[in-house]
Amino acid sequence: MDWIVFGTLAIWLICSVGGAILVKNPVHSILFFLSSVLATAALFLSLGAELIAGLQIIIYAVAIVVFYVLVITTIPWEKIKKFEGVYFKELSIGFPVVLIVFLLMGYMVVKGEFAQSVGKIEDNVREVGKTLFTSYLFPFEVASVILLVAMIGAILLGRKEE
Amino acid sequence: MSLEKAYLLLSILMFLMGFLGIVIRKNLITILVSTEIMLNGVNLALVTVDKVLGRVDGQILSLFVLTVAAAEVAVGLGLVVSIFRLKGYEGSSEIVHLRD
Repeated sequence: MDWIVFGTLAIWLICSVGGAILVKNPVHSILFFLSSVLATAALFLSLGAELIAGLQIIIYAVAIVVFYVLVITTIPWEKIKKFEGVYFKELSIGFPVVLIVFLLMGYMVVKGEFAQSVGKIEDNVREVGKTLFTSYLFPFEVASVILLVAMIGAILLGRKEE
Repeated sequence: MSLEKAYLLLSILMFLMGFLGIVIRKNLITILVSTEIMLNGVNLALVTVDKVLGRVDGQILSLFVLTVAAAEVAVGLGLVVSIFRLKGYEGSSEIVHLRD
């Protein structure tokens, strides 16, 4: 049963990622990316990480995708038509390199052994919250500073010059 | 082959497809989307290893990856819009000068 769920989600994910990097129109590419985000959230749910699945949907599928679509509407459409498409020379070099790297890393994953498990998590969300606010409290606060700096940077970049 | 190894293979494949998207595309917005796909692949690997080890540290690290992704999208799309406003085009092979 686990394999059926995994196989369905994996085929959905691979199809949508391939569509996102290969279709010409940027809006269609972002819609394929939205589909791949939903597939990833479903994979997280099947792994038992409910909090990350919810955050994936809230942050990626709502905030980031809407932001991409808003930015595309501000760019004049007819001028970027000539930059849609694929570099075929880079594709002919890059695809064998990516295939070889995937075979090497896949060989290591298939032949390798995982580390020893140290225990079993009963309540995932509670454990994540407890660890986040005890061991990882300082990185959590630093993340808010990163978001603030990114917000100020985006405002400065998007401002009109006088 | 156990199910967790299949999950790891899927995450590696997702990361490499995002990398291929960065290499082969011309449009800057599609390149940013490919970056997001690479970050998603990393998140999937972190959560999978978490399930194997029975810990929650990987999920917290993927939470920070989500934060960095949101910041990267805000700054990156701001850069794309200002490049377009200054120069009037946005193709990855045309942007070769740091100043004009």
